[in-house]
Amino acid sequence: MSASLQRGINVLKEVIDAPVASFFNSCVHCGLCAEACLFYLETGDPKYTPIHKLEPLRRVYEQEYTLIGKLMRGLGLAKPVSDAELEEWQPLVYDSCTMCGRCSLVCPVGNDIVYMVRKLREGMSVSGHAPEGIRGAVKRTVEIGSPMGVKWPAVQAVIKHQQAETGFEIPIDQAGVEYLVLLSSMEIMNYPEYLGALAKIFKKAGLTWTLSSTAFEATNAGIQIGTSDIARVIVKRIVDSAEQLGVKKVISPECGHAYMAIRWEGPNLIGRPYKFEVIHVLELLDELRKKGVLKMKDSFDEPLIVHDPCQIVRRGGVLDAPEPLINTVATHYIPIVDKQKMNWCCGGGGGTSAIHTEEAEALRVKAFRIKKRQIEEAGVSTVVTFCANCRIVIEEGFDHYEMNTQLLGLTELLAEHLEDEPEGVAS
Amino acid sequence: MTTNNDIQFKAVLQKLTLPQQRQVAARFVENAMSLSGDPRVKAAVSFARRADISDAELIVVQNAAKSAAVETYTHCGDEGDWLGQAGHFLAEAALACVAPPEKASSLAWDVAMRVRVARTCETIAKGHGTEHSEAEVQYRLLDEFQRQ
Repeated sequence: MSASLQRGINVLKEVIDAPVASFFNSCVHCGLCAEACLFYLETGDPKYTPIHKLEPLRRVYEQEYTLIGKLMRGLGLAKPVSDAELEEWQPLVYDSCTMCGRCSLVCPVGNDIVYMVRKLREGMSVSGHAPEGIRGAVKRTVEIGSPMGVKWPAVQAVIKHQQAETGFEIPIDQAGVEYLVLLSSMEIMNYPEYLGALAKIFKKAGLTWTLSSTAFEATNAGIQIGTSDIARVIVKRIVDSAEQLGVKKVISPECGHAYMAIRWEGPNLIGRPYKFEVIHVLELLDELRKKGVLKMKDSFDEPLIVHDPCQIVRRGGVLDAPEPLINTVATHYIPIVDKQKMNWCCGGGGGTSAIHTEEAEALRVKAFRIKKRQIEEAGVSTVVTFCANCRIVIEEGFDHYEMNTQLLGLTELLAEHLEDEPEGVAS
Repeated sequence: MTTNNDIQFKAVLQKLTLPQQRQVAARFVENAMSLSGDPRVKAAVSFARRADISDAELIVVQNAAKSAAVETYTHCGDEGDWLGQAGHFLAEAALACVAPPEKASSLAWDVAMRVRVARTCETIAKGHGTEHSEAEVQYRLLDEFQRQ
């Protein structure tokens, strides 16, 4: 056994806890998780059944923590988990699992399959079986602070451009303000207008806010790869900055897993509660809507559907904010059947869009067919969403299938139709 | 009158007809064409320069420019290549040049802003801080266009 495999197996032994043990014992092999997985549905291949993806973890559990498993192992009748097997499993644990959580939701005995996938990813990562794309993202996150290698001077350049384009100030390192705004590298690089939109909304609402030069990045590659130590470092960076600045609330950006990491996993990772509140940007916008601050000057009148990002809605619990916000700006919102917590994933979450093997990309495009059907059945040519990663994956799907469909970000859509400041105020 | 700030610049652009906006926007993109070697971007710009572009032609070049823009996004977790990202925003600028009439209410301004983002990406890539003079160049291009 190689040293890296041994370390990986040791990690798997360590991460098997009471929930994992009870989940494996509770599974009734009903197959409902398969029907909830877009990769299984779009390929029909049983290897994509979510519970099957956990087979190496199940075997370690059985051989290490059950009487029969131990006996079998003692008699040499149990097959130990090998490097070759983990290599074979890599596409099942990474390429074809976006950690969207639909399988966990439908499991009749309440098995949290995503929870177990994360545990398995921890062992896969330590044993050297995480995909190259995700490994690189983690390295950059630790060394630079951003999975895409975005450094503060680049953020400053983007801030400067957005201030010039929109005429709204973007504060930096302002202590004592109410909100600390986090960004994802995806927004900084691909959707800088998100920052301009936020600046407009904050100005309109009269809120005090800031970016932090030491903790602008919300993305947590440690969560994606399944390495708690790294995830902890990334969360701690934000916590330190928020506490130094003395903000009351930290705003998670339109990024799915960033929200899960900072809102739900963060306090457990650092081992204490935060001294501030974490909310998703849509929760803030909905608060403003309820207060009557989000007044629109006009409306978006084309029929549209909403793509609910898994990590924000199904997993993150931001269920109630999106629809009222959409209805604030859009006159023809069409609710689809599988929406909110039952929505289908874009196919690129959980780090899968960073995997660029031919097989992974082909699988992602195949899985997108489910989203394509949702759009076609609704008969719309506009989709609105609120996750930067979903936006790119969906746009690639549109391009691949030559769909004449536009994709809009919800925060930008609201800002675009927001009542203007009185002349001269903005600049 | 010489344009020397964004308020003037935007006001003048808004007064242009849609074909005029496309033509001046094409000049904005052409000025930064060194940031993209994609033939689809070049094609969109050369079609945008034409006053007699048909609806069918517009759709063809829109689709091609859209593909160029989508293919150059930086994926979540990929190492950021700011020069590549400059090419992405230039493709977005070219796409905005050939936007359909119903989405072209501020076409030339939108294109100008995307070109400036592309230049910003270039300065980041080259480690030149945040300074570039694209706005001034665009003011001059607009003034020249108006004098024609």
